[in-house]
Amino acid sequence: MSDAAAIPANFKVQAPPVELEREVLVNKGRDIGWLSDRVASVIEGKTPWWWWAMMIPSLLLYGAMGAMIVYQISVGVGVWGNSHPVMWGWDIINFVWWIGIGHAGTLISAILFLLRQKWRTSINRASEAMTIFAVMCAGIYPALHVGRIWYDWYLFPIPNSNAIWPQFRSPLMWDVFAVSTYFTVSVLFWFMGLIPDLAVMRDRAKTKLRKFAYGIFSFGWTGSNRHWSNYEKAYLLLAGLSTPLVLSVHSIVSLDFAVSQLPGWHTTIFPPYFVAGAVFSGFGMVLTLLIPLRTLCKLEDIITMRHIDLMCKVILATGSIVGYAYIMELFIAWYSGSPFERYAFLNRISGPYYWGYLWMFLPNVIIPQLFWFKWFRSNLKVIFILSLIVNIGMWFERFVIIVTSLHRDFLPANWGWYSPTWVDILMYLGTFGQFFTLFLLFMRFIPMIAICEVKAITPQADPHHPLGGAKDGGHH
Amino acid sequence: MKTIPPTHTEPKSGQQYWRSMDQLQDTPEFRQWLEREFPEGASEFVDPVSRRNFVKIMSASFLLAGVGLTGCRRPEEHILPFSKMPEDYTHGVSQFYASAYPTRGSAIPLVVRAHEGRPVKVEGNSQIPGSKGGTDQFAQASLLNLYDVDRAQRFTKDGAGVDRNVALDALNKLGADMAATKGAGLSFLLERSSSPSRSRLIKAISTKLPQAKWYIYEPVDFYIHRQAASTVFGKSVRPDYQLGAAKRILSLDCDFIGNEQDAYALIHGFTKNRKTKTAHDDMNRLYAVEALYSLTGANADHRMRTAASNVLPIAAKIAVAILSQKSGYSAVVQALEPIASQGKADDKWITECAKDLVAGGKESLILAGYQQPLEVHLMAHVLNAALGAVGTTVNYLPAVEPVKGTIQELAASLNAGDVSTLVILGGNPVYNAPADLGWAAAQAKAGTVIRLGYTEDESFVKKGWHLPLAHYLESWGDARTSDGTLVPVQPLIQPLFGGVTELEVLARIGGQSKTNPYDIVRETFSALDGGDENAWRKFLHDGYLAGSSAKSVTVTLSTGIAAALKGAKVLPAPSQNALEVVFHRSYSLDDGRFANNGWLQETPNPITKVTWDNVIIVSPETAKALGVGRFNENNALGLAGWVSGEKEISQTPSASHGRFDNQVVEVSVNGKTVKGPIWIVPGMADNVVALELGYGRPDAGRIAKSQKDTPAGFNAYVARTSSTLYIAPGAKLTGTTETYPVASTQEHGVMEGRSIIREANLDQYKKQPDFATLMNLHPAPVSPALKEKGVTEAPSLYANPLDAWKDKAVHQWGMAIDLSACVGCTACLVACQSENNVPIVGKDQVRRGREMSWIRMDRYFAGDLLNPQIAFQPMLCQHCEAAPCENVCPVNATAHDEEGLNVMAYNRCVGTRYCSNNCPYKVRRFNYLDYNKRPLNDLVGPHYRTPLTATVNGEWAMSRWWKSPERGWREDEEWELLKLAKNPDVSVRMRGVMEKCSFCVQRIEGAKIAQKVKARDTDNVAVPDGTIKTACQQACPADAIAFGNIKDPNSEVSKWKAMDRDYSVLDFLLTKPRTTYLARIRNQNKAMPDYQEFPGTSQEWLNKHNSFEAHGHEEHAGHDHAEHATTTEETKKGAH
Repeated sequence: MSDAAAIPANFKVQAPPVELEREVLVNKGRDIGWLSDRVASVIEGKTPWWWWAMMIPSLLLYGAMGAMIVYQISVGVGVWGNSHPVMWGWDIINFVWWIGIGHAGTLISAILFLLRQKWRTSINRASEAMTIFAVMCAGIYPALHVGRIWYDWYLFPIPNSNAIWPQFRSPLMWDVFAVSTYFTVSVLFWFMGLIPDLAVMRDRAKTKLRKFAYGIFSFGWTGSNRHWSNYEKAYLLLAGLSTPLVLSVHSIVSLDFAVSQLPGWHTTIFPPYFVAGAVFSGFGMVLTLLIPLRTLCKLEDIITMRHIDLMCKVILATGSIVGYAYIMELFIAWYSGSPFERYAFLNRISGPYYWGYLWMFLPNVIIPQLFWFKWFRSNLKVIFILSLIVNIGMWFERFVIIVTSLHRDFLPANWGWYSPTWVDILMYLGTFGQFFTLFLLFMRFIPMIAICEVKAITPQADPHHPLGGAKDGGHH
Repeated sequence: MKTIPPTHTEPKSGQQYWRSMDQLQDTPEFRQWLEREFPEGASEFVDPVSRRNFVKIMSASFLLAGVGLTGCRRPEEHILPFSKMPEDYTHGVSQFYASAYPTRGSAIPLVVRAHEGRPVKVEGNSQIPGSKGGTDQFAQASLLNLYDVDRAQRFTKDGAGVDRNVALDALNKLGADMAATKGAGLSFLLERSSSPSRSRLIKAISTKLPQAKWYIYEPVDFYIHRQAASTVFGKSVRPDYQLGAAKRILSLDCDFIGNEQDAYALIHGFTKNRKTKTAHDDMNRLYAVEALYSLTGANADHRMRTAASNVLPIAAKIAVAILSQKSGYSAVVQALEPIASQGKADDKWITECAKDLVAGGKESLILAGYQQPLEVHLMAHVLNAALGAVGTTVNYLPAVEPVKGTIQELAASLNAGDVSTLVILGGNPVYNAPADLGWAAAQAKAGTVIRLGYTEDESFVKKGWHLPLAHYLESWGDARTSDGTLVPVQPLIQPLFGGVTELEVLARIGGQSKTNPYDIVRETFSALDGGDENAWRKFLHDGYLAGSSAKSVTVTLSTGIAAALKGAKVLPAPSQNALEVVFHRSYSLDDGRFANNGWLQETPNPITKVTWDNVIIVSPETAKALGVGRFNENNALGLAGWVSGEKEISQTPSASHGRFDNQVVEVSVNGKTVKGPIWIVPGMADNVVALELGYGRPDAGRIAKSQKDTPAGFNAYVARTSSTLYIAPGAKLTGTTETYPVASTQEHGVMEGRSIIREANLDQYKKQPDFATLMNLHPAPVSPALKEKGVTEAPSLYANPLDAWKDKAVHQWGMAIDLSACVGCTACLVACQSENNVPIVGKDQVRRGREMSWIRMDRYFAGDLLNPQIAFQPMLCQHCEAAPCENVCPVNATAHDEEGLNVMAYNRCVGTRYCSNNCPYKVRRFNYLDYNKRPLNDLVGPHYRTPLTATVNGEWAMSRWWKSPERGWREDEEWELLKLAKNPDVSVRMRGVMEKCSFCVQRIEGAKIAQKVKARDTDNVAVPDGTIKTACQQACPADAIAFGNIKDPNSEVSKWKAMDRDYSVLDFLLTKPRTTYLARIRNQNKAMPDYQEFPGTSQEWLNKHNSFEAHGHEEHAGHDHAEHATTTEETKKGAH
């Protein structure tokens, strides 16, 4: 090409100075072939013992969830602990919690993609899968928590002979659209990204069944330039489409509360604070999943300590935002001068559910501050434990918002109490069963790392890198 | 069964209407049109018949026949018309009959609504002079007893069922056999009754069988009122209190607002003088001396808590203070002084109270409670006489001498073997006779026992006869109300189980020629009135006999009073080691007769808010001294209080994790021990233990259970002896290590300084008539520019589209509740439950906070922990104009109608429950578990049976459901009865649906339709004021609720809302409730030692908000502030 011809023969790419050198995203100079083999081996290898050890309890819990759902539908919402005045309990807590977890995936795949954060590539596939499964867990609750499940379709704008439409002023209505859109787009985005990798799996497949199955889902991908060009465009478009959804879903979920006039719910800070919290808990969950996985599947060279370090920093940042929001809530409650607002927040801190507030505040605000220190960000065991704590903390955040606001509101005569029942607990555990069942199936049958994308960010793929192809101005 | 509407043929005579111009002109075209089946051209083939065309038309016809016309077939059900139409009957239109609910020695006149022959609702009869139609909770709930599945349904001999006729013949035979011995050995045990027919029959039997003996027993007996009056005045009289005329009232342990006879009528009188229309009105003042915190104490302006035994010396002190000022009472004073000196009380309280009563003069009234000894009653009567109140606030009516024999005498006679045949008419002596009588054993000594009972309960006769008693709505009877007016007890339905009445049993034993209750009552009426058939019909129609009220008699004090008082024995003051037990009638179950009534079991006690159980009540001090119970004296706010610098006292027993698992304590008294959960009520007298009667019935039925096979509550009768019927000294209370779950509907008892119930003393009200609106929180500021234009309310950014309807619609519904009048009696709760098919949920579900009642009676304590004030507030759907529930419902199931009602479309509701979460008043109720279809046993969590695996009556639940989905889990016999009690105008909600107060929309619509029919072609479709009464309003004995069209400025409710006391709860949320409240005014006496400048709740509020004047206005208008400090008139201008 003419451009190439313009490069002087003696031009040489200088290696950047050491202090500007970024840590590589694939360690040990692993080459492209190794990457394909490594990721594919998780699928092609023998099923490891730990997979069954995880799968069997997950399936049991999944079954328990099914049983609880049948039980709840056949008996009524009363099998849960929901009471009067606390009409929402674990159902909505768990819904918001799972939806929150479902945020990291799309954030990683869409926003980080648009921001050209290359480190996203080795974690985006698993995070997106996590997102989809988390939203599936979340979706169970709003569908099931209503009193008459068989009329759920009333929530959709389906033309009917009575000409009754849904109430478009209701945040629950917005939820229906927000969550279903988010889920649809997330699935599309995830699947889009999967096509080249499924083609890889197809090409490597040794059995007919595999060839057939991967063949169907890889849509005849050949890796031609035209395919790649269309693929990249579509990926960019979907990333653009997903980005506002990352912000909108949890904003709208937060409006379930913010639009009401309950002290403790009725606050304008909720949308940003919920989004930050969602990202916070999402990254917590990504860490919880990937730290053991990278060891078990021997992916340490792909999901490197640098990745983990970066994710810890995201947790630190979003945790601090959440902490700011908590403190600002308290300040505003005081500053409002409204005795009802003030009481609601004092009651959170020191009322009968004070332990809920502690479980929210410590794990979400204080504990993530440890990530200021490099030692905490580099100690896998500590990070794993902290990521669990973050998830617990975020669960309690929803508990505090929902239960403590409802249990004591305006008229003291109707103050009450909430505690979950065995059905609540088993059903929540059951959603873990569903989540892990799906996740284990995912990692066993679908490349859990975006092979093509990781290849593109290896030093070897970088024409400007010393290890890369563009040596001595030559062509690769 | 379907009824076909009659065809409307054109009248043969009168005006003929033409349908079109053609018809008028009778043109040939019109003739042809009439004759031809189809218009010209439609029925013929215009083109020549072709196969193609024929097939085309045929196929089109087949298609149409298949698609559309099948629906035009007539229904295949067999339609049977009435062969004989009942007179005055229109299908689907309810009928109303006058009747009466007989009580002990009195009656509540009723109008009962029947739908297709089944009574579905009782209401007070407002036609009777002096009554506005209020009732009490018992009368309201008595309807449910009719449909009680556990009613006695058979005649038995020695426990085995016999034919009805055999049993009735046995009664005749008994009478005939007894005639030979003149009734020797025959004893009757009666309950109190005011029935003239019964008196007549007793008299008749007594002449025929002079040897027969008559006894009477009521576990809670109001006879003492008559006894005392007769003693004081030397002739057989009974008092009839005119509380409406009383300005100063002293209650000596007399719970005339709750547990006394005819409380509904007394409340009506009492509240008449509480409802101030303007700040210039005067009101009555109530002093109460009592041990328990009763409803009367809650409504008192000054309340002295003292041991029940101490009421006697306190009464004496007051009597001395008053009588020593009057001449002619020196002997009485002399007799009283030693009694007075034995009591301990705040002397200033006594003297000032006495002074006030004397100042009240003939407008004063002193009442003594049934549980107090005779001497207290004597003093009350003497004082009323001395104050000149006789003829003003109390009338004395002639009284028929009732049966004298007591149950103690009967027991002695039984034990002596003198009773060959014992006839028990009603009553449940095995359960509630004094423990010292050993009744069950004594009864067994009778030769034959014949019992007429409503249930096969504790007193079921295993050896002898048991006859099922007919419900009062199934049988003829008569009664007299408190003022002696004769009222009919008219049946609306044939006895469901062939039960018989007391009258019939007596008539048969007495060998009367007429044994049919109708004939008996008719005959009594003839004897009383002369017997004109028209008069009888009018009597039944009106529900009372005009002019039959007793004429009051003039009375003079008998001379023996001083002597009668002298012997009064004062019990020693109770102490920690010798506590005093007070046995009291239950606000829910009466003396236990309503134990199997779910509506009443679930109606919370107005003071403790406990349902489904009775509790052992003590004061906080006593609990602390005895080291029992848990009382969170510190505060409910915990750290919050510390942070905000407020010290608040939680004046309720502390709930652990929101639920009451109270310590079980043992009370030993009279050598017997009862065990039950402790309950601490601030304001109880120290060293007093209150035991509520009526609970712990093992054989009451399947409703009266707190768990499977465990009766609800404990039985306090086991510790009650003949000598200590109401007050028992020398009791001990010890704690145990057990706990017992209690279901209370209110966890938190204080208002936290919020302006929810707004109260003022009369003095402040006079000074600051708009105090209620001044307690509003942060009214939205109005800009000065707008203010100049006369705008008083901050305009909304978004106009409420519903506001447009305020001008267009004919009606705008609204309600006002006068907190000055509301006494907290809970009659409205039961009325609502009955009218609106509100299900009961059982104890376990109440503990989970899932009770379904559409009205709550919120109860708040305020002020001093040891002697707090109580304030009540009925809380129901506020029908907000800007309802927060509506805009959060995703499916539009709750919406506003043009007349301002917040309506629920149950069919549309999916049950997201968001509406409840966003309701600031939390008045919405969610049907969590199909409460209408599941029996109580199946409502005990957390393991509920699922229809997928369960069997009912040996049949798989799903297959039952497939066959008949509506009956659910209930056994057929229960379901068949229960569904009869439902109001057909109100849908029975299924599970998963939110429900709430509808302002009785079915009544509103009924009245609107009736008015439209009446209006015919005029525009006069506005329902006249007073036509619609909501169920709660109708039942309210205090007339504390006004409901109507707020668009009409002359309607009662508009007038109430225009009063200066009117305010809305949580005004600052700008929900604009259609239900507003009139602030409560207390009338405290400044001279009293317990005078509080502000009522307790107001004081709590003031602690947070400086003063009535300053608050709320400082933010937006500094110049307003000065105005408020000036005169009343100017203040009013400033605020409105």
